[in-house]
Amino acid sequence: MLLFHLGDRMAKRVDLLQGTLDLLILKAISLGPLHGYGILLRIQQISGDRLEIQQGSFYPAIYRLEHQGWIEGEWGESENNRKAKFYRLTATGRRQLKTETDRWAKMTDVVGDILTATPEEI
Amino acid sequence: MSVLSRIRTWWRAIIYGTRIGNEVEAELQFHIDTYADDLARRGVPPEEAARQARVEFGRVGVQKEKYREAIGLRLFDEIGGDIRYGLRSLYKHPSVSVVAVLSLALGIGATTAMFSLIYSALLHPFPYAGADRIVNPRVIDEKHPQIPTWFALTPAQFDSFRKAKSIDSILGFFLEGLQTTGGDLPEDVSAAYVTSNAYSFFGIPAMLGRDIQPSDVPDSGQPTNVVVLSYRFWKEHYGDDRTIFGRTLQLNHENYTIVGVMPSRFTFTETVGNADVYIPWTPTRTPGLFPWIKLKPGVSLAAANAEFQSFLNQFRQETPKHFPTSFRVSAQPIIEPYVHRAGRTLALLFASVVLLLLIGCANCSVLLLARGEARHHELAIRSAIGASRFRMVRQLLVESLAISFAGAAMGVGASFWLAKLPLQLMPNAFPQEAAITINFPILAFSIGLALIAGLLSGLSPALRLSRPNVSQIIQSTARATGGSTSKRTTNLLVGGQIALTFVLLGLAGAAIAGFMKVASIQLGYDPHNVMVVSIPLKRDTKKNQVGRATYIDQLRERVSSVPGVISVAVASRGIPPGQPPFGIGTLGPFEILGRQSQQQPQAEVSLVSQKYFATLKIPLLRGRVWNQTENQRGDFVAVVNQALAQRYWPNGDAIGHQIRIASLKDDGAPLSAASPQSGGWRQIIGVVADSRNDGLERPVVPAIYVPYTTFMWDGTAFFIRTAGAPLTFVHAIRVALHSVNLDQRISWTADLEEVLQHQPIWTQQRLFSILFSFFAGLALALSLVGIASTVSFAAARRTNELGIRMALGAQRSHIVWIVIRTTLATVTSGIIVGVVLNLALEKVLRHWTPGSVFAPWMVAGVALLLLICAAIACLLPAKRAANIDPMQTLRCE
Repeated sequence: MLLFHLGDRMAKRVDLLQGTLDLLILKAISLGPLHGYGILLRIQQISGDRLEIQQGSFYPAIYRLEHQGWIEGEWGESENNRKAKFYRLTATGRRQLKTETDRWAKMTDVVGDILTATPEEI
Repeated sequence: MSVLSRIRTWWRAIIYGTRIGNEVEAELQFHIDTYADDLARRGVPPEEAARQARVEFGRVGVQKEKYREAIGLRLFDEIGGDIRYGLRSLYKHPSVSVVAVLSLALGIGATTAMFSLIYSALLHPFPYAGADRIVNPRVIDEKHPQIPTWFALTPAQFDSFRKAKSIDSILGFFLEGLQTTGGDLPEDVSAAYVTSNAYSFFGIPAMLGRDIQPSDVPDSGQPTNVVVLSYRFWKEHYGDDRTIFGRTLQLNHENYTIVGVMPSRFTFTETVGNADVYIPWTPTRTPGLFPWIKLKPGVSLAAANAEFQSFLNQFRQETPKHFPTSFRVSAQPIIEPYVHRAGRTLALLFASVVLLLLIGCANCSVLLLARGEARHHELAIRSAIGASRFRMVRQLLVESLAISFAGAAMGVGASFWLAKLPLQLMPNAFPQEAAITINFPILAFSIGLALIAGLLSGLSPALRLSRPNVSQIIQSTARATGGSTSKRTTNLLVGGQIALTFVLLGLAGAAIAGFMKVASIQLGYDPHNVMVVSIPLKRDTKKNQVGRATYIDQLRERVSSVPGVISVAVASRGIPPGQPPFGIGTLGPFEILGRQSQQQPQAEVSLVSQKYFATLKIPLLRGRVWNQTENQRGDFVAVVNQALAQRYWPNGDAIGHQIRIASLKDDGAPLSAASPQSGGWRQIIGVVADSRNDGLERPVVPAIYVPYTTFMWDGTAFFIRTAGAPLTFVHAIRVALHSVNLDQRISWTADLEEVLQHQPIWTQQRLFSILFSFFAGLALALSLVGIASTVSFAAARRTNELGIRMALGAQRSHIVWIVIRTTLATVTSGIIVGVVLNLALEKVLRHWTPGSVFAPWMVAGVALLLLICAAIACLLPAKRAANIDPMQTLRCE
């Protein structure tokens, strides 16, 4: 069962590129305040479960973003009536998300162009 | 924004560490629980769901560390851990730690003290705004280039000078001696007339009331008579009375309204002459003004001098008598006289405390190395379980830094006291307004010093100890015998300590010998129970020489009738032993009848009465001293000192020859009065013994004594020998002077013995003797502790070996010898290096402390002292090592 599970995952999911987790977290929060678990769920949901997020690096990424002042955490009540910490984007965070998104788009364009180049084009 | 948020998270994580940790845990727990709920909802059995959620996340506690790491606090936490560990290990070895901390505390404290003294006395002594741009206006007479003088300006000149381009602002002032009137006995008050911009020039608000303001001297209309008091004058005359405003102070029969009191640090600097009260200047008060100039920022002295020169050349054409015939301007930053007086002293003291600090660091290193030997096992284990060398070095350095910062904290406290010592011992070498405070630059300096000291003392032990031979140390249960490199390092450190201590001891010895020489010098006169009373004379424009001479004689007569006064002499200039601050003046030329030589003879000319020699007990060697009639006349006679007689008449036939002193001729200056033939030929009628007249440390210069009536200014001085402590007679003398003339006052008095003790060379040698002895004593103590601890640690390391030797029949004395021989050899080589260093430095030190005496016997004495002390320091711990019971040691094995 477990073996199958692992194989299943390996077949379906891709690992995140270095540094993109921050961007995804910012994006997830930009749609509305979320607690940590919610962020994880939302990313997985949007990606259609195709992304594997390392549990070990998920919270440190959130702490780092908070430390940099891009997101802000506040204690509130969750849907199951428990105390949970909700994160939302700050103004600088919003700017950061925009810059990072633009950079990402440019990057994928360039990399995509290179990868799809045909001998004739070169 | 993001910087702020970083600081905020750090702040919270550091200050509210536990709470933040709990929050992080709670957040994660929520995550795990919710995840488990979700799993359960998907059909996983609840227990299995909880387990799976936990497995995926790992332990909740670890998350706290991850949090701190994510926000970049890892290094902080690790170093914090190192510090805690370091403090624990210091606490575990209290004796070693206390000695190490004290060693550095002494060095850091002394160095900080000297730095704060330099900072407050030479770098930032004055409270004035823009003090580094204020300059003394000086002109140098090309004829007497060694004595620069200040120049005064007429009000019109002052106004035009003000417009010079290099001048930012300019203060005009004039000092005058006034008297309080309207009270019982008149009292002398030194008044400074200052131009009404004084407040904006100095930028120092009054402590009470207000400063002098431009509105005190309106452009038109009558100026108001207001006065601002100096702090000291206020304290002495009004106690702490804060309600004195509006009251009247009567000076020279004129009423002034008190409007303010200046703060204690404002003394109008003694470069100028301290003032008791400040009064707004008006042209009716004094006809002239001395300028004090604040240059514009960025104007060089050379540029300012060049500009002032053209102004002054113009002024000289208007008022030729106010300036020398040919001169150049040489403006001088106000700090310069003090740098000249105290700069070398401070530099030398600073160098010696740096030596002390180095000795302290070496001591600390020796102790850390010795203790490190005992910690080999611990360090080996740390290394074996994976500590990197970097981390171990860091850990050991953090320990030594903890020691040095503890030392610095103690040292800075002590430095506050130590820094004041030179100010008290050498009062006239430093600006009066300098205030020793512990301020930011000084704290920053001491923190920097602590860092350097910590690294210096910790580096060699850290590098040495962070490379343990793991397998060897862990295998052997016995104490490690210690690497030879470690011993070599220790020996090097101890040897270095001894060498530096030797240098300091040599310095102290030379300073003490120098002071003894100064204190026991043959003065040639007897200062005991003699005082100088300075007598200002009323300015009389009639220039009546006879009248003035008669008046002085009348005063002298009356003073000599005061009970307890043994003898009174008049001397118009010159207080022995000469040299500033009571300098006699410099050599001037004279002629000898019938002798033409390439080099004009030079001598010091003193204007005295015939009683001068008896009063100061200067013996008459040949011939006679002039009598009362000759004294009244002033002309035709002269007495010379032995130095002059021997130089120009080596055969001893000086008496009867004729000499002439051109500078005594009537110069026509408004304040002087001369006898008819003052510049004419005089016969040498007597030769007196030499007495110091060019400072204590320099040889006696040729001197000519002539009757004071020959040339008189608007002031003279009485030398009074009394039956008891001279200054107790001042009141009686004041009363006697008043009985001749109600307005006759005294401007100042000085006990000749005190004058002697204010000689720069005297105060400097005393300061050097005291401080160098103090520093050398500390250095010696530190080195001895270093030696003793080296020996006792070495002995402890060899307990086994010694036990076996004793069991095999070695004598106690032999054991002692084994233990101390390496250290003794080190000490001996340290002393040899010290001797070499001392000889090498001697030339430099001679130049820097001209008053100190360097002699070979001193080097020998210091070497012997050091050797004896070192031997004792070796023997004490060695004897204890030899007293152990061999069976006990062997059983310990």
